Amino acid sequence: MRGKKRLTDRWAPTPKVMGVPWLVVLLGLHCAGIYLFTRGFLLTRTELSASSLPSDLHLSPCSSSSSDDPDPAPHHLHPSRPGWTRPTVDRILILIVDALRFDFVAPSTFFQEKKPWMDRLSLLQHLASTQPNSSRIFKAIADPPTTSLQRLKALTTGGLPTFIDVGNSFGAPAIKEDNWLHQLVKNGRRVVMMGDDTWTQLFPEHFNESYPYPSFNVKDLDTVDNGVVQHLEPWLHREDWDVLIGHFLGVDHAGHIYGVDSLPMIQKLEQINAIIQNVTDVMKSQKHLENTMLIVMGDHAQTLNGDHGGGTSEEVETCLFAWMPRSLPSSISSIFDQSTCSLDLNGGNICTSTMQQLDFAVSISALLGIPFPFGSIGRVNPELYALSPGSWDPQWHLTAFCEDSRSDLETWKHNYAHVLCINSWQVKRYIDSYSATSVMGFPTDDLRHITDLYNKAQSSWSGSKNSPCMPENGTINGFSNFLLSFAALARSAWTEFDLKLMGVGLGIIIISIICHILVFVRVHSQSNVYGNKTEKSSDHLQISVAFFLVAVRAVSFLSNSYILAEGRVANFLLASTAIASTRSSLVYGKFKKHDLVFLILIIFIRFGIEMGMTKQAVTNPFLKYDSGSDFDSKWLPSLFQGHDFATLFSEVSPMIFLFLLAFVSYKIITCIVDASGIKWIVTIGAMLSYALIVTFWLSERSFAPRMVYGIGFGLLVLNFVIRSTGILERGDALQRLRNLALVMVAAWIPTILILLGKQGPFAVLVCVFAGWSIISSKNKGLLDDCKMDPISVMQWSLLAICLFYQTGHWCTFDGLRYGAAFIGFDEFKIVRQAILLFIDTFGISHILPIFSLPFLVVLPASSSSKKRDKTVIFLNLTQVYLLYGLITAITTTLTILCVAIQRRHLMVWGLFAPKYVFDAIGLLLTDVLICISALFYC
Amino acid sequence: MRTAQIGATTALTLHSLCAAGLAAGHWLAQSFYSSSLITDPTRTLRFLTVCEAPIVIVLFSWLRRDHDRCTFIKSVGRGLMGLPIGALFSAFGAIVLGAPVGLKYWPATIYWSMLMSLFTFVPAACVFGASKLGWQHILSYSNSFYRLSNVVDYMISVPAHGAILGAWLGAWPMPLDWERPWQEWPICVTYGAIAGHLIGMLLSPVLIYLHQRHIRTKVE
Repeated sequence: MRGKKRLTDRWAPTPKVMGVPWLVVLLGLHCAGIYLFTRGFLLTRTELSASSLPSDLHLSPCSSSSSDDPDPAPHHLHPSRPGWTRPTVDRILILIVDALRFDFVAPSTFFQEKKPWMDRLSLLQHLASTQPNSSRIFKAIADPPTTSLQRLKALTTGGLPTFIDVGNSFGAPAIKEDNWLHQLVKNGRRVVMMGDDTWTQLFPEHFNESYPYPSFNVKDLDTVDNGVVQHLEPWLHREDWDVLIGHFLGVDHAGHIYGVDSLPMIQKLEQINAIIQNVTDVMKSQKHLENTMLIVMGDHAQTLNGDHGGGTSEEVETCLFAWMPRSLPSSISSIFDQSTCSLDLNGGNICTSTMQQLDFAVSISALLGIPFPFGSIGRVNPELYALSPGSWDPQWHLTAFCEDSRSDLETWKHNYAHVLCINSWQVKRYIDSYSATSVMGFPTDDLRHITDLYNKAQSSWSGSKNSPCMPENGTINGFSNFLLSFAALARSAWTEFDLKLMGVGLGIIIISIICHILVFVRVHSQSNVYGNKTEKSSDHLQISVAFFLVAVRAVSFLSNSYILAEGRVANFLLASTAIASTRSSLVYGKFKKHDLVFLILIIFIRFGIEMGMTKQAVTNPFLKYDSGSDFDSKWLPSLFQGHDFATLFSEVSPMIFLFLLAFVSYKIITCIVDASGIKWIVTIGAMLSYALIVTFWLSERSFAPRMVYGIGFGLLVLNFVIRSTGILERGDALQRLRNLALVMVAAWIPTILILLGKQGPFAVLVCVFAGWSIISSKNKGLLDDCKMDPISVMQWSLLAICLFYQTGHWCTFDGLRYGAAFIGFDEFKIVRQAILLFIDTFGISHILPIFSLPFLVVLPASSSSKKRDKTVIFLNLTQVYLLYGLITAITTTLTILCVAIQRRHLMVWGLFAPKYVFDAIGLLLTDVLICISALFYC
Repeated sequence: MRTAQIGATTALTLHSLCAAGLAAGHWLAQSFYSSSLITDPTRTLRFLTVCEAPIVIVLFSWLRRDHDRCTFIKSVGRGLMGLPIGALFSAFGAIVLGAPVGLKYWPATIYWSMLMSLFTFVPAACVFGASKLGWQHILSYSNSFYRLSNVVDYMISVPAHGAILGAWLGAWPMPLDWERPWQEWPICVTYGAIAGHLIGMLLSPVLIYLHQRHIRTKVE
């Protein structure tokens, strides 16, 4: 009925397409579904607001002896300070080296091969090998997500921060949970911080003095480090501090910009080595620092590319080095795990241990003698605890008759068992309170098992307390067993998925898909009123082929391997469609050049994707000097390795591609736009932008990118003016649509180009030619060349995915090309940089393909001689947009489903969750862009 | 004409000869060099190609289309020429689809594409030579079921399409992280291609039988 009515008003001045309100409804449904699912999926851990109090200790079974036998010999260090355990060190100096890999610190003899970045922190190795009784290198295993903010939160609270916080990383909210900084401040200790300003954002009121430096400017390797150096030494000579935190960012930034295997990285490591050398010299000479523990540690590690965020061993295996100026009893060696020892470069023996980063918070609290953070679930690390001299002193409640017969080691064990008892009691208290307040606690069976372990350990403790000369091994093992089991349980079962919300969200999205299909079918049947009905069968075949491909792609997300290889899978499918279309042109006996061009382009795309994947895995030696020049500087020079020609080529080839692109754009503009005024404006705008891009590459001047953004914005405004004033209304609908679409694309290309860096021209050229091939291979042999071809739309969407991966992006947060956010701007402003990063990430894979979709309808139609009426064109355009949206929606739905199914998968935070976030944002962006395009073009 | 008299049984016999060639290649590789497709893909592929090539070329040259104008020897020559050309196409297709191109893969890729050429390109080259229409015929097979007029068309088209589809499906497990040796290029793709080819060879006599019955009922 509606179709009939439409026939009558086909010459109405502004034909309305019924799809637009529906598109908005779909957008709303997607928003609601994704919002609910995200609430259910990423809301994970209930943060408890309670915090530990010094007076809580009398509740624990561990302190009974001390309560009826008040401390006979108050500790000489801090007699007045309340705490749960006795402080064992005076001060702690924590130097955090962001993104410190384990192999930066451990001697190269630990690894199969000596790499240039190894053995640069020679001082730490020297200390570890010459003073084995007062220093130790630990391999500290962090928990994913390995982003700085999450790690700092984990280091201070002793908990397992979850994925949702990654989203807060830009906003850096203050930590609300109990943590050792909070405990320090409450118990009258003085904390000084210098370095990364994330600390002051996390702890706005905790520091007596702080010297924060901006952390977001990745290109800046020195400001933060120099700031720390400037303030560190004066503070070392002062006595009015208890904990000093220095956070160096240079290593992290050098990794992000240049990769691990680079000269700046080595220089940074050597600088850090010199700083630590200086610090240890001061510590040896100053009397007040005699009982100070120096901790040099990483918050997380990094891959060879300098990326971090995931859960691979390269990213989680960071390092912790602890050193005391005072030497300790030699029996300490029996506490240390001697299993991983090796000769260092100078022939000395060097040993390392392994610890969980989770244990750091509680270990620090035990060393400083403050109440353990309420939410900490770690275990006081025996080796770190043994490094403090105080842990070897006889405890206050030790009965006198046993004291003489005890060796150092037994005293230590007794002290440690006492600390572990409090530790276990605190964790148990947390478990109980968590189970009571949280809607979904831990599984009852596991909880019962944990409680059993706790009770067993406690009874062993009470037994040993009654006869204090008994060896403590059983007790220590019992407590350790309990704590380790609980940490394992927490790791496996922590993420508290709200299945109900997830289900509702998924349901809404599935409903939206059904609506989508219904709308699509309706528009499709409406367009069939105009079309040739005899071709219905081939039409159905094409739609089913397209949906078969969508289904293959979507189902592939069930496996983590396919998500990792998504770019290759998309390329495989795109190549399959290209081969099939070549085959069908052969069937009709006419082999066309665009088929061959398309196949060759796919080979280029394929190599680009593979290069992107290798960047993800290992650093390529040719990628050092420019984070933007991913593609060309990567695989082209590797063919001519070791020649000056290679560098020259990688410098020059982007220029050549850019000139080629300029030529092609000129051709396209003159060929497509027919209104001469607009044609000139667009041509001048494009050429000026290209010239500015070249200027930027040659001179690195920041005015050029800004002007490029300005020109792009100007063209957009012009386009809206054209659209709203109706300058083009005189021409027919096809021409109008062509002009609008071209100006739109021309407005976006230079911005995307400059953000993509030197790989940009090649990627955009590939995009243009591949688009051209898809358009010209469309609907081969069919008579009705204006009809929507589902396979072309499918190819368009596969091409968009391929371009995403080809341009060096991938679906993880460390895959974001942060360098792009600073093109044209040096200082950091959150909104501006976020917009640039967003355009860089989604520009070539979402914005460009969606805005250029009209060409898929318009160009074949205008090449035919047949006169088209407006309504048919707009119906086809709506169909194309609906189908494109449907393809994206279906794949995203499957991603969501797979994430829901795989929510207990090992890689859920490393792989599935980032994929989900990227796909969800991609879907919403696609919907928004489709709505804009539908409103704009129709 | 001899070709017209070919029935489903003859087709089955000829196909089994081809399959026997593959089996012989596999057996030779295994018994003399004790290498299977997994342990030494290059050598096994070489054996498969060497054993399969003469059988395919001779059989399909015997089935050549234009008996009057084309001698058996000429047809064999066409087949021999078709082998590298088809291999080139196969290799190009594989690289477009994402086959690895590192130097160490080259020998395996070359033999694999030879084998693919024997499954797909060589039979058609032997039978049709440069006849454009013949090639179009076997390609358009999938468009409608009974359009193929000739028995030989089935014998070429069905196993060839089977081999290509099989190889395509065989590539699917490659990205999985099971770390099995058979996931390496081109092992699973070869398995897929051979399996698809064998299924195609089983299917083609069935289709020929159905086709001939259909024609007979039409005539009656």
